[in-house]
Amino acid sequence: MTELLRLDNISVNIPLGGGFLKPKVWLQAVNDVSLTVLRGETLALVGESGSGKSTLGYVVAGLRRQSEGTVSFHGAPVDGEDGKRPVQVIFQDPFSALDPRMVVGEIVAEPLRLKGVPSEQRLARATEVLGQVGLPPEAARRYPHQFSGGQRQRIAIARALIAEPEMIVADEPLSALDVSIQSQVLNLLDDIKQEHGISYIFISHDLGVVRHLADRVAVLYLGRLMEVASRDDLFVTPSHPYTQALLAAVPRIGKGRRKKEQILKGEIPSPLSPPSGCVFHTRCPRAEDICRRERPALLPAPGRPTQLSACHFKD
Amino acid sequence: MSTVTADKAPAEAGRNSVWSKRWERFRHNKLAMISLVFLALMAIACAMAGPIEHFTGIDANATNLLRRFRPPSAQHWLGTDDLGRDVLLRLLHGGQVSIAVGLLATVITAVIGIAIGVTAGYIGGQFDNILMRMTDCIIALPLIPVLIVLGAVDLTKIGLSPEAASSPAVVFLRIVIIIALVDWTTIARIARAGTITVRDVDYVRAATVSGAKGPYNVFVHVLPNIATPLIVAMTLSVGRIILFESTLSFLGFGIVPPTPTWGNMLTNAQQLIISAPLLAVYPGLLIFTTVMAVNFVGDGVRSAFDPRSEAGSRSH
Amino acid sequence: MLRYTISRLLQAVLVILVMSLLLFMLIGLMPGDPVENMLEGNPALTPETMAQMRALYGVDQPLYTRYGHWLTSALHGDLGYSSVYFRPVLDVLGPAIVQTAKLLVLTELISIPLAMLLGALAARKPGGWTDSIISLLAFASISLPGFWTSLILIIVFSVKLGWLPASGTPLLSDASMSEQLVHMILPVTVLTFFHVGPLVRYVRASMIETLNSDFVRTARAKGLSEVTVVMRHALRNALIPMVTVLALGFGSLFSGALVVETIFGMLGMGKIIYDAISNIDFNLALVGLLLATIVTLLSSLLADLAYAWLDPRITLK
Ligand SMILES: Nc1ncnc2c1ncn2[C@@H]1O[C@H](COP(=O)(O)OP(=O)(O)OP(=O)(O)O)[C@@H](O)[C@H]1O
Ligand code: SF4
Ligand SMILES: [Mg+2]
Repeated sequence: MTELLRLDNISVNIPLGGGFLKPKVWLQAVNDVSLTVLRGETLALVGESGSGKSTLGYVVAGLRRQSEGTVSFHGAPVDGEDGKRPVQVIFQDPFSALDPRMVVGEIVAEPLRLKGVPSEQRLARATEVLGQVGLPPEAARRYPHQFSGGQRQRIAIARALIAEPEMIVADEPLSALDVSIQSQVLNLLDDIKQEHGISYIFISHDLGVVRHLADRVAVLYLGRLMEVASRDDLFVTPSHPYTQALLAAVPRIGKGRRKKEQILKGEIPSPLSPPSGCVFHTRCPRAEDICRRERPALLPAPGRPTQLSACHFKD
Repeated sequence: MSTVTADKAPAEAGRNSVWSKRWERFRHNKLAMISLVFLALMAIACAMAGPIEHFTGIDANATNLLRRFRPPSAQHWLGTDDLGRDVLLRLLHGGQVSIAVGLLATVITAVIGIAIGVTAGYIGGQFDNILMRMTDCIIALPLIPVLIVLGAVDLTKIGLSPEAASSPAVVFLRIVIIIALVDWTTIARIARAGTITVRDVDYVRAATVSGAKGPYNVFVHVLPNIATPLIVAMTLSVGRIILFESTLSFLGFGIVPPTPTWGNMLTNAQQLIISAPLLAVYPGLLIFTTVMAVNFVGDGVRSAFDPRSEAGSRSH
Repeated sequence: MLRYTISRLLQAVLVILVMSLLLFMLIGLMPGDPVENMLEGNPALTPETMAQMRALYGVDQPLYTRYGHWLTSALHGDLGYSSVYFRPVLDVLGPAIVQTAKLLVLTELISIPLAMLLGALAARKPGGWTDSIISLLAFASISLPGFWTSLILIIVFSVKLGWLPASGTPLLSDASMSEQLVHMILPVTVLTFFHVGPLVRYVRASMIETLNSDFVRTARAKGLSEVTVVMRHALRNALIPMVTVLALGFGSLFSGALVVETIFGMLGMGKIIYDAISNIDFNLALVGLLLATIVTLLSSLLADLAYAWLDPRITLK
């Protein structure tokens, strides 16, 4: 398979506060992340809240400019917020993803409108794509508030599909939906992947879903990459202590949800003053002196050349 | 796969139902409806001033010292003033000016305020900071004194010929413009606040991902979604502007005689308080009732548009 | 917090400088020029002496030089002469400030308790009779032209009934306190009515909010009397943000004072500014307006600071 997306040493530093007479504070939302996504591949981004998953996804989509590093598609670097990336985004909240003042047909057709496709053609195409996501043609003439959350998410997916992207960044597309609806939308995303050969960057909290959908998984913590591995390697033989802790927190079916925090002791440190050395050392059961001093490089785990892990004492 | 068959509402229902619900709510607000009717009648009456003059042969500006201070009669329903002019006709003419200033200045205010507020809100950063400090400055000004200075500005000093500077059209436009110059800040703030909330909403981001640029996002997504608070603010500013105009004209820095306005008719009446107190009652009563009616309508619009009563259509 | 205060103060100074330049430019656009006005009607005036005077006063120089001159001497305490009163501007404005201060303080002293009373009454039963009447009054307050209210009160109480004087200041400068107060009754009434409307709406809104809040419910549940609940808890809670509302209302109150002082012939700041502009007294108009602006700015600055001191969240912004 050929490489579609390549991220080289991406960092995103967000200036906070800073006004008259006040020094700016920099928040490192993403720090030195390098990743690749192949054609048709699904890469899942996992990590606790605030770990920089959305920020990284926005950089890929061109919604946020990276402070350092390059984003390349098909080996060619892209710059700034131009619309030439072959990427579409699906957002978490299906209520704010659709303009309440537009009819669904217009919403779905918007990417074509921005490409200058004449009105009739694009509306016809919108109706077609609505059909692909399981909505009847009449839906095109209604307003978003007349649809349920799951239906809205389908509309958002239709809008992404109509642009014929090579990659879709899906930022927790299921977490705002009822559990019963989640699996329908998940299946839809799966079907699309099979049919269109689209790559996904799939951002999720739900490791169950990730295990179902992902080909590879990247684990973020405080904006840093902790581990990248194929799904099977990561779920069967997690290398990084943080990944292990996350997996230990996954609820077993039928046992109800347990909070991750119960396994991961302590608070997430403030991203404004990340810990020295390995950023995970404040919560890591294996932390030793070197962890406080030296930042571990992202290197293959022992005997597993494709499983990369950033830990001095990786498994 | 689920479908929307459960939802059998007519296809057109969406937008129409939002507006018809609003109208329905407005209609049930008695005060607002009465005010709306009152304003409509007032506007029609004022517009009739010209035709009435034409048919009765009475000229609102013709002075006649033999008919000063006449009491109400069949010919002069509200009597005549100190120069023998028909009071009712002058009131109607004055109403035209007040209402025209109120509407026109509101439109200009809205254009300036929305342009500045939306730009500041959308671009943000330093640009926003500077613009907002500017509006802070203007808000800090005591408005009436500043309006008086603006009203005192000698237009020939900024390049107008003396004839042009004193022509009625320029005098009219000048008051419209100076009021707009100090009044745009209210709308600018509302537009800015709205833009800041909308500009980062996911549907705008989705458009950006598909290649939308600032102007597209502003016109297609931002403006339609911040229209509601802007409409409310504009309604309320009509009343405020009518008050500004009448105060300025009363103080002699607005529209000057012989063109009658409710404000400058009161300047005259002030001198005649003892001999003809009623002359001081009519114009003020009209200002008061008109502004009050505009404010009631504005309040009615506000509650009719209130998103809390629009819970059924969950727009953010 | 200290940093916030300092930065706000510096900002205010900057804004005042900008405002002074703006006003300087605007005032310069009034008809005539200062020299002409000063020497108007002097038959001995030849074009040459006019030109000399102009040069002397720097009127023929470009705007920014003139502004520079004005600013330098202003910072040295020399604000120029009034061309109408033939006295230093500050000598004219001094007593006017006192007069306006009396008017405004009296108005606030009546408006604030009145607004709290009416607001609290209205908030007790939103939508009820009392509320409707009070809200109608508030609407009238923001819809009434102050100059007309003044005229009507004069017609009724001075002309028809003869109860109260139509002028805001007694003729004799050594009039007794009570006599001065009697003359203030009508002006203060007009201003209060003008000022109280927005305040009432504000108090009502924030009272309704606090009356529905948890801690007031708890207080009620504890069996405290309604009066105690309203006075102790709800009103006190509404007071803090009220500082901001009062400060923001200052600009409009000053505008109202200008109108009222003009009609009742009171020599306060508003009337002085009005006369100065009418008579094209450049120096007096400029300094008067600038003072009014500075006071308005400072009042909103103080409100912001008071708010920030009371509510620590704001410094995070
Ligand atoms: N516009 C912004 N301004 C300030 N801080 C921001 C901004 N965007 C992101 N951040 C910060 O950057 C960090 C990463 O945020 P991000 O939204 O990418 O996390 P996330 O992993 O997507 O979290 P979640 O699971 O809650 O969505 C967080 O600490 C967040 O507070
Ligand atoms: S480097 Fe040290 S602190 Fe970091 S994960 Fe590995 S063992 Fe834990
Ligand atoms: Mg996120």
